[in-house]
This record gives sequence, C-alpha cells and structure tokens, in this order.
Amino acid sequence: MSDPGLLLEGVSAAYGRTPVLRGIDLTVAPGELLVVLGPSGAGKSTVLRVVAGLEPVTAGRVHIAGRDVTTDRPGRRNVSMVFQSYALFPHLSVADNIAFGLEVRDTPRAVARQRARAAAESVGCAALLDRRPGQLSGGERQRVALARALVREPDVFLLDEPLSNLDLALRTEMRTELRALHDRLGATMVHVTHDQTEALVLADRIAVLRDGRIEQVDTPDAIWHRPASAFVARFVGSPAMNLLPASGPFTPSGSAPPGLAAAEELQIGFRPGAVTLRAADDEAGGSAAVVDRVEVVGEDAYAYLTLAGGPPVVARVPADRRPVRGAAVRAEVRWADVHVFHAGSGLRYSPS
Amino acid sequence: MRPDSRSRRQLVMMLMPYLIGLLVLVLLPAVITLALAFTEYDLLRPPRWAGLANFSELIDDPIFRVALTNSLVFALVAVPLRVLFALGLALLLHRRALGVGSARSAAMLPTAVPEIAYGLLWLWLLNPLYGPINQVLRTGGENGLTMLGRTPPQWLTDPTDARAAIIAMSLFTMGETFVVLLAARRALPRDVYEMAALEDATGWDVFRRVTLPLMAPVLGLLLVRDAVQSLHFTFVPALVVTDGGPPPYATTYLSLFVYRNGFEYLRYGYAAAATLVMILLTVAAVVVQWRLIRRYRAFYRL
Amino acid sequence: MMRLKALLALLLCTMLAATGCGSGSTSPGGAPVRLLVFGAPEELAAYRTLVDAYSKARPGTDVQLVEASDRKDLLARLATSVAGGAPPDLFLMNYRFYGQFAAKDVVEPLDDRIAGSSAIDPGDYYPVAMDAFKWGGKQLCLPQNVSSLAVYYNRTLFQKYGVAEPKAGWTWNDMITTATAMTRDPAGRVIKGTESEGAALRPALYGLGVEPSIIRLAPFVWSNGGEIVDDPARPTRLTLDTPAAREALKNLVDLRLAYGVVPTDEDVEAEDDESRFANGRLAMVLSSRRATTTFRTITGFEWDVAPLPVYRGQVGVLHSDAYCMTRGSKNKDAAWKFLEFAIAEEGQKIIAATGRTVPSHIAVSTSAAFLGPAQPPRTAKVFLDAIPAVRALPTVSTWPEIEDATGGILENALYRGDKLDDVIRDLDEQTRPLFARGEHG
Repeated sequence: MSDPGLLLEGVSAAYGRTPVLRGIDLTVAPGELLVVLGPSGAGKSTVLRVVAGLEPVTAGRVHIAGRDVTTDRPGRRNVSMVFQSYALFPHLSVADNIAFGLEVRDTPRAVARQRARAAAESVGCAALLDRRPGQLSGGERQRVALARALVREPDVFLLDEPLSNLDLALRTEMRTELRALHDRLGATMVHVTHDQTEALVLADRIAVLRDGRIEQVDTPDAIWHRPASAFVARFVGSPAMNLLPASGPFTPSGSAPPGLAAAEELQIGFRPGAVTLRAADDEAGGSAAVVDRVEVVGEDAYAYLTLAGGPPVVARVPADRRPVRGAAVRAEVRWADVHVFHAGSGLRYSPS
Repeated sequence: MRPDSRSRRQLVMMLMPYLIGLLVLVLLPAVITLALAFTEYDLLRPPRWAGLANFSELIDDPIFRVALTNSLVFALVAVPLRVLFALGLALLLHRRALGVGSARSAAMLPTAVPEIAYGLLWLWLLNPLYGPINQVLRTGGENGLTMLGRTPPQWLTDPTDARAAIIAMSLFTMGETFVVLLAARRALPRDVYEMAALEDATGWDVFRRVTLPLMAPVLGLLLVRDAVQSLHFTFVPALVVTDGGPPPYATTYLSLFVYRNGFEYLRYGYAAAATLVMILLTVAAVVVQWRLIRRYRAFYRL
Repeated sequence: MMRLKALLALLLCTMLAATGCGSGSTSPGGAPVRLLVFGAPEELAAYRTLVDAYSKARPGTDVQLVEASDRKDLLARLATSVAGGAPPDLFLMNYRFYGQFAAKDVVEPLDDRIAGSSAIDPGDYYPVAMDAFKWGGKQLCLPQNVSSLAVYYNRTLFQKYGVAEPKAGWTWNDMITTATAMTRDPAGRVIKGTESEGAALRPALYGLGVEPSIIRLAPFVWSNGGEIVDDPARPTRLTLDTPAAREALKNLVDLRLAYGVVPTDEDVEAEDDESRFANGRLAMVLSSRRATTTFRTITGFEWDVAPLPVYRGQVGVLHSDAYCMTRGSKNKDAAWKFLEFAIAEEGQKIIAATGRTVPSHIAVSTSAAFLGPAQPPRTAKVFLDAIPAVRALPTVSTWPEIEDATGGILENALYRGDKLDDVIRDLDEQTRPLFARGEHG
C-alpha cells in the first residue's frame, strides 16, 4: 500500500499555554480532498499551520508523502498554501507572484515564467499576468493565489478558508472550479472552512473539528446521515438538527430501536425535513404543538414549534403549505429518521 | 453654505496658526536671507547692494570649496549609512523578545539628548588619550597602541578620522528614522512572510524580495528627509567637537562656514549667499530623489 | 464668517502689541545696565564681585551680567543684538577683536564723557592700553587691564628636579634648555619628547605649553628685531618671510619637532595646556594675566610667573580688555556711571583683588591691591616690568578671521611639521585678502 499523502499522529499544538490541538490523528490518502470543518476557534487553521510548519507541534508527528517532516522548516516540506487573505506580494506582478517560489529556488527565469503562465492558464487568470495585485478583484486574486499554490506541484495543497472573502455567487462558482481543479490535478488537498455547505459539496471526506479534537472523519454522506455525535449532527445542516430528550414529551412514531428503553439517558435528534406537520384534528398521529414563528426561504418554509410542555422544534414544510403563526398542529417524526445520542457524551447510540 | 466649502473653511481656520507661524517665522526670514545674499551686510550697518559679488567671491573662496566638498561627501556617506543603520535596527528589534523594549529605548535615547550636550558627550568619548573609545581600542595593546600594534584613530587630530567621527555622531541620532521604520516594518502583513517561508525564502531572499521592496517607499522618503537634514546634522558636531578642524578645514561644513561668516566675521551677506547655494543644493537633491521615488512607485504600484 | 473676522482681529492685535513692544522700549530710569562678558567660571566670578560691589556702593543702581560661553559666542551675540536693535549697554572686549565693531560705528566714543568726568583722568592710565582703544583719533573704549604674555611655571616641580627657575633676561635658548630638563617620564627621568610619537613612552610631564598662534609668535618676532605686518597702522600683509621673523617661527615650530618639549596635538586635544598645567603635568605655560584666576584654584603645588625669554631685546605683546559702550544703548548715562566705577581706582582695586587683571590704572597697579603677596603669583611685578616694552597687535576689522586662518596653518606647522617655506607662503597668501578687506582705525 502506498504512503498516505498526509499523516498526522497524535498531533498537539498550543498558543502559549493555551492548547489548540489536542492529539489529532488524521490520514489523507494521496489525491484526496479532505475538508476540515468546524466552528471558529476549533483549531482548523492550526491544523494547516502545523502541517505547513508555521506552528510547531507540542506532541505527535507529521508525515507528508511518507516523510516525517515534524521538525522540517516550512520551505522543506513541499507544501503550498492559499491564505484566507491570499498573501499576494503587492509589489510584484501577477506573473512574478506566481513564479516567486520558483525563483527563490533558483529556477531559471524563462522556465519559471513558462510554468507561471501554465499555472495561470489552468486557473483561468492568464490574462492578468502583467497586472499587480492592487488592480485585481477578489475573485481574480483568488485565482492568482491558487495559481501560485499549484505552480510548484507540491505534495500537499493547504487551503485556509480561501473562499470566505468572496461574495456568495462567486463563492459557489469558485467552489465548483476548485473541485474540478482537484479532480484534474489529482492532488492531495486539505481545505479548511467553517461553511458546512462548502464542506459537503467539495469534500471527499470531512474532518469535523471541535475544541482541538476530531469529532468525526468521514464522507459527506456519512457525516450527514450517520453523524458520530450530537455536535456533528447539529453543526452540519441548516437549520440545525432538532435535539430533544428521548424520554418525552415528544415520541416518534413507528418502532423504536431495540433496547432503547433500557439504556441510560438518551437524546433523539431529527432534521427539520424529517418532521411532518398535520392539522391539529388529524387522527393520524403526532404530538400536539403550537406554531411560534414561520420563516419562508423560497420554496421552503421553516416552522418553529413549541411542543406541549417541551422544547422547541423546527420543521421544514413546503412554502405553499405552511401553517400560520399561533396555529395548533400535530408534528410527527418516524423512528427511521431519528438519530439517537447519549445525553452525557453526545456520542451516537448504537444498540448492542 | 455648502458643507463642502464649510469644511474647507474649517480646514483653513485650523491651519491658520501654523500657516501664520510658517510665514512669519520661516518663509519671511528665508526670503530676507535670500535677498541679503545680493548685498554686503555686516549686521551693523545697513545692507548695500552688491549684485553677484558675493557669489563670484564664493567661487574663488578655497574655504567655501572645501566646505562644499565636505558637506557633499558627508551627505553621500552619512545619509545612506544612517538609513541603513536605522533599518538594520528596526528589522532586528521589530519582534517581541526579551530586552527588545529596552533596546528600542536605547536606540531612541541619543535623539532625545539636547544637541550641545550630545556634542560634549562625544567630545569626551573621542578624547584621544582619556576617551573611552580609544581606551577600549587600546586594551590588550602596549604603549598606547591597539592590540594589533597600530595607533588608535586620532579622532580630533587626523582629518579622515575626524570626518569619520562626525559621521559616527550623526549615525546615533537616527532615532526618529528608526521609529518610522519600526512602525513600517510592523505594519507589513504577517502572512506575506509566512508565504515566503513556505517558498523556502532564506533571510537574504526575504529581505531582498519582500521586506526591502515593501518598505522602499518609506525608505525613499526618509532618504529625502535625511538628505535635506544632512546639511544641518553637521553643524553642532563641527562647532562643539572638532571646531571645523583638524586644520585647516577638515570638518568645516557649509553650516559651520555660514555660521562663522555670518556671526563671527560679521559677513552676513556673504553667509546668506552661501546659504542660498546650500538651499539650491538641497532642492536639487530632493528633486532627484523625488523623481527616483516616483519612478519606483510607477514601476511597482502604478 | 464672524469667527474668522474675530480671529483675524485677535491676530492683528497681538502683532501690533509685539511690534509696539519692539519699538517703544525707551528704558525707564530703573532699568538695569546690561554688561556682556565671557570668560572662565573664575573670571565670571570676578566680574560678579565687581558688579556686586557697585550695587552696594550705589544703591538703587543695577547691573546685569550677560554671560557668553566664549569669545566667538560673545561676538555673535553682540552682532545679532545690535542688528536686532537691542544691544547690551556695555561689553567687555579685547582690542584685537573690537576693530570690527569700531569700524562699523557700533561703539559710542567716550571723549566727551571722559572730559566731563571727575572720576577719570586719562593720564592715570597706561598709555599703551589707552591707545589700543583709540579709533580714528577717538577714545572708543576704556581699558580695565594691561597684561603681557608671561611664563607661568610650576615652582614645586622646578625645585623637586633641581632645575633653575626662569628669571628676567633669560634667552630663548635658556627656555629650551629649561623645558628640555623639565620634560620627564612617569619615573621622573628626563625624556626626549620627540620619541613619544612611536612606541616609546609618553612624557608624563612636558616642559612647556604654547599655543601655535600669531599672538604667541608676535613678541618673539619683535624681540628678534622683526615685524609681523608690513605697516602696523595700515597692515596689508604678514611679513613672516623676513629672516628675523622666520627664525622666530622656526624656533617655535622646533619646540615640538626638534625638541619635543611641548605636548603633541593629541595631548592638547585630550587636555588643554591650562588644565595640563593645573594638573601638574606641564612645567611652564605661556599665557596672559587671564590665566591667574583659574590657576589660583590650584592647591597641589606652588606656581609663579616669569618674564618672556628674549632674543635681542625685551618685548611683550599687549593683552588688554576694555569696557565699550554701544551706540545703540538706551541707558547710556547709567552705563557710564558703572563704567566710571569699574575703571576708576575703587573698581580697579576690586577686580585686581580677584586676580583677573593687571590694572590699567597706574597707581592701582603699583599698590598692594595688585602686588600684595596674599595670593600667587608672588612675582606679580613681572607683569608691570613688561609694560614699558609691550607692543600692541594691529587693530584691523578682519583680525578675527586672520587669527582663525593663521591658527590652522601654525597648528599644522607645529604638530605636523609642514615645510617652513610653505607655511610662510600659506600664511601670506591666505591672509592677504583678509587684510585687503579690513578697515583701520
């Protein structure tokens, strides 16, 4: 079996005395696009900076393409990085910016130029080669930063929230392009974002980070359908998954998983889309609830419900069939759509 | 009243005290001085029109020529050295580390000392026999020689050493330049340097390809400023420390030449003519440097 | 708009007030007389003593000392304050430097006031000093002192090493012999100072201190029968190329290069001659009476003065400072009252007691106030004996420039050993334009 593109073994890091990463184990296969997802302060960027060598580790090892690079300086790791701010050199032309790394490494100028042009073409910014960063739009800068990252053909690409400074339309477009670029290059990429949609769309696999620890590493499908913890379940998906005590007052319909009642305290979770709303007098079942608030987002509407004597619940309904505020309804969820978590640890409950 | 013209009026009002001061205290005396350059004036009797006589005498005056050469050489050597010295210190001290704060204060300190006191301090430092500089240079040597068996620099009696001493004195008053460069360096984005580190740029490459070009506009401005100021840096040291010597006129700079003629020999008109030459030189230097800077900016920033 | 007008009005007012203040300052009766002086701290203390005595003798009158840091500073202050229309009422100046002010009509002639004074009789004063301050036939300033160059020597060291003390009538060669015998290494052995340039030991004691300047050279040129300028009344050039002058100059230069009895330039920069003498590291030093106030603070050894050595005849060079009144003074009567006090017997006695002056008042100079043995030098009479043979340097308005220009050349001649022919030629060439520009009294 070939070496993984990137391997972190028990990596910890700290800013001063504050631990930021607490024992990260992570394997990225060659050619894989891994997205590191998590809320602010979870240590996502630190993962990249530790891989790049911009931050030292306090424990653990970092391997890139089979080499242990833990103590190597950044320039020796053969990684390239796209910064959130792009970090373009304002005094250099686009061509010189892209060729910077080559020229520093004493590549002949003509060769460096030619490779810079090729890199620029591959991200569609060849027309900008003679301009300066100050004359470029945000999206153009983004492309230049990408071209600079890929001109050197590194072992690993590190992308630190590269799309977060773009407006929504451009972000969507660049997201698609980025994925296409990855597929074309077959490069190992680690992409950091706090945007769960971006993560779901881009990733081969997603690593969800929380307080310096990995909560779950898995494919977007698995993250969505089988979240390993209540945290992952709530973080992925918008509006977030409903989370209620399993003991009531809300009881899903159908047959509960075996052994559920015997277990310790549990929580049940279900996405807003899994909720079916019915009229209050509908005999088909469901728990009685009152509509607090309704938000319409295009074709969908989100109804915020208060269950009788229980916590709030969000339900997604077609916009044309949304209830009015204050209406009494019945909400029903089938056990098949329900995730069960341990209330204390937040881990997914699996009946033994 | 349109808000535009109102804010402009406010601006004028706020600038007024400065403008009046500039006019009365700087521009008016400057214009008068320039006018006096064309007269014979001894401060005591009314000035008499002399046409270009002062200037033709300046051309023939060997002392003036020496002073002019000394000033130009000083500017060419001391101004770049000062800025380089300040840049070196700023790059050394821009990070947070143990002792950096005190080191920064130490770098600023000579600038805060009054000029005459600073001159007297150096007079002591440079004392050929009892001064600490030569005492240190003599450690390990015998019979008043250095460890290498050579005579220590004769700061106050050898022309070249004395000029070097004046330049050295001007180097340590670069506190302001240092502060400006320190601020400029600290304002540079961190991620650009991280980028350079990822591309394995070494210290020299980072300096040459990143730091220097990014700081170049500030460096350019400081060079212009120091060039303008350089005619004045030399005055107190030459007056207090070397008295224009060693003989005959090794450290007689234009500023001292002007002072002596104007206030010691009561040849104010003649001194004014020399001042005019000094101002023209300054303007020329500024124009040349300004053009270089503009070309640089056009090249890098557009 | 209103605010702008108010601001302008305010500004105009302050400007008017300022100019009003500048022009309308005719001084009221009680304004102090301002006296501009410079000197070492001990000299300034002497002037303060005089001013205090005056205030005590004439209550209600007030004299304010304006102290400049050195001679050049005094010249600059005087010139700028005259140009600015607010000169001091009195200033004290050497006759070598007053020419540029005399020529420019800045000094008030005193003949009428002297004639009308009951306190001052010109006949009471040494004529050589009075004459030095006449310009165009008018008495411009009144001299407070009449000094000549003398040899100060460290009597304690002479006795310690058993070297004969200098005495009247000694020759230049005697001086060289004496100075050579007094140049000693740290162990007290006689050492040849010329060897000290290289790796050999530096003398711990030098024999003689002399400043390489035209005023130090002049008395020896005269004594040797030469002249320093072509025409003392209307000089046009230096005449150091005559054999007599050349010999005197060569002998002066040889003190360093041939005999090594004077400190090197490095030594002088490290410690000037007066400090070196006061610190006991210099056996003899040529200076005027001025040095006395400073040397009286010496406690470590006994010192005395001797006359200058001679070539053919005893000749001294005049050192004299005088009180001058500015023409622009707004307080002339009060200034004259102080001047009368300072110049007349009482004032001369007070300042003589401080050691600063050889009184220009003949009677005071021969009184105990000057000759009294209370304080060194014991042989103060040396100064009086020199007066009959004392000569004045030419007074020409560009003299300060001439001293500066010749000073540099002579310094290099003494310390660097420039060729004598070049030195004499440079001295002549560089001073000719200065003489040409000069004005005479």
